[in-house]
Amino acid sequence: MPATSALLEIHDLSVYYGGIRALHGVSLRVERGEIVAVIGANGAGKSTLMKTIAAVKSYQNGTIFFEGQPLPKDTHKVVTSGITLVPEGRRIFAPLSVRENLLVGAYTRSNRQDLEKNMEEVFQLFPRLKERIHQRGGTLSGGEQQMLAVGRALMSQPKLLMLDEPSLGLAPIVIDAMFETIVRLNRDLGLTILLVEQNASLALELCHRAYVLKTGEIVMEGTGKDLLEDPRVRASYLGIK
Amino acid sequence: MELFIQQLVSGVSIGAIYALLAVGYALVYSVYNFTNWAFDAFMAFGAFMAFVGISSLFMPFWLAMILSILLTILLSVGAESMAYRPLRERKAPRLFMMISAMGVNLAVVNIINLIFGGTFRKFPVESVQPIFVGNVSIGRMDLIAGLISFGVLALLWLFLYRTRWGLGIRASAIDIQTAALMGINNNAVAIIIFVITGVLSAIAGVFYGIKYAVYPMMGIVTIKAMIASIVGGLGSLPAAIVGSMLLGVLETLVSGYISSSYRDLFSFLFLIVILLFFPNGLMGKNVDEKL
Repeated sequence: MPATSALLEIHDLSVYYGGIRALHGVSLRVERGEIVAVIGANGAGKSTLMKTIAAVKSYQNGTIFFEGQPLPKDTHKVVTSGITLVPEGRRIFAPLSVRENLLVGAYTRSNRQDLEKNMEEVFQLFPRLKERIHQRGGTLSGGEQQMLAVGRALMSQPKLLMLDEPSLGLAPIVIDAMFETIVRLNRDLGLTILLVEQNASLALELCHRAYVLKTGEIVMEGTGKDLLEDPRVRASYLGIK
Repeated sequence: MELFIQQLVSGVSIGAIYALLAVGYALVYSVYNFTNWAFDAFMAFGAFMAFVGISSLFMPFWLAMILSILLTILLSVGAESMAYRPLRERKAPRLFMMISAMGVNLAVVNIINLIFGGTFRKFPVESVQPIFVGNVSIGRMDLIAGLISFGVLALLWLFLYRTRWGLGIRASAIDIQTAALMGINNNAVAIIIFVITGVLSAIAGVFYGIKYAVYPMMGIVTIKAMIASIVGGLGSLPAAIVGSMLLGVLETLVSGYISSSYRDLFSFLFLIVILLFFPNGLMGKNVDEKL
């Protein structure tokens, strides 16, 4: 299984909450340089998948390989190996300043000389954050907080960036800007991205490939374009008859 | 006037000891949301280890202090890895953590009692001449206790606000799960926190032992640190320090001008009055700001 070139390779993954099965036999791969989306309804197991990869949730069955190596089972070691999750609901450190939030993101970095340079790159991506650098994270607007959450994750210089519901609770215009940034991160910086999203049409438009998750199982897989045109996807997830 | 200033200095010095204890509580509480009831046993343990260092091993004071700090760190980290971490890893409710802490407390205090007996002992430091500033006499130990306590608190502040690890601890205090998602090792944070509380409780134990006496139940004084941190505002470090200073000064003034037997009465009265007017403590206005 790990012999392939995929950056992330998940095989036959099962996760339970007590006796309740949240993921069943999920197999999924992310190649270097791709944007992969996982779409699905509420409770389909999207967040569970993210949490399991991030080792917040433990799994009972299956394998997760990252760069050909088994993924560590401690949350902080997953970050060290190169996967950073932007958690659902942003979860920024409200009492800390914008700068401190970004520094927490860089916690694992051994190379501390480039920190300021890296922070400058984040500010180029999100100039709004620079204006608010000494403000407490909790005083930012929802969109700015999402920028901060993404910027904070970028500070760890991940090989794989995972985004859990990046559009959640944001105004449509802010969502558009956020998704443009995600595309730019991938296209201009070559960052590999795995995202889960309830807003299926947005996710399918920007991703290279996507998986459809339904009650814990992968029921469909294909390029974003193919899935956008698939009648079952259109009926169930895009609300188009 | 001289008496008043003397009382004030003495009050600040006992307040500084309360502050060490209150900060120790606040640190654990802010990250793990449970009250470390074993803390008072650590304090007594620290005092006894310094006592043994001086009276049985004939160490000079400073060496006994270092011995006490090192051994109390071991005890504190030992309690964390044996009594708290297994519960945390099983995601036990915080009530279980507190009960576990009480268990550690009972065990340590009773082992001390078994080995040394329950008698009150005078801490073996020779009494030194007080320093006179004009007509005001200041106890040398009061001065040393105050200076070292404030020095340690200042170091702690520098550590928390000027270092990468300190930032990691502050982030963990806000949201420990997200801190882990940023690559912060929760267990390493726990060890750092319990090393710090070990240092704080040992120093507080030694100075409190010098000021009053060394005995297995001496940790009961940590109730004052609890009062101080509630008065200041629970879970916040600066608030814990302010609350401790107020309480220390109030207690010495009551002892000096009214009667030392009413001291504790006034301490609890103070707590009730403060809570009547400031239900979150004096500085506890902001719930999300913890460290």
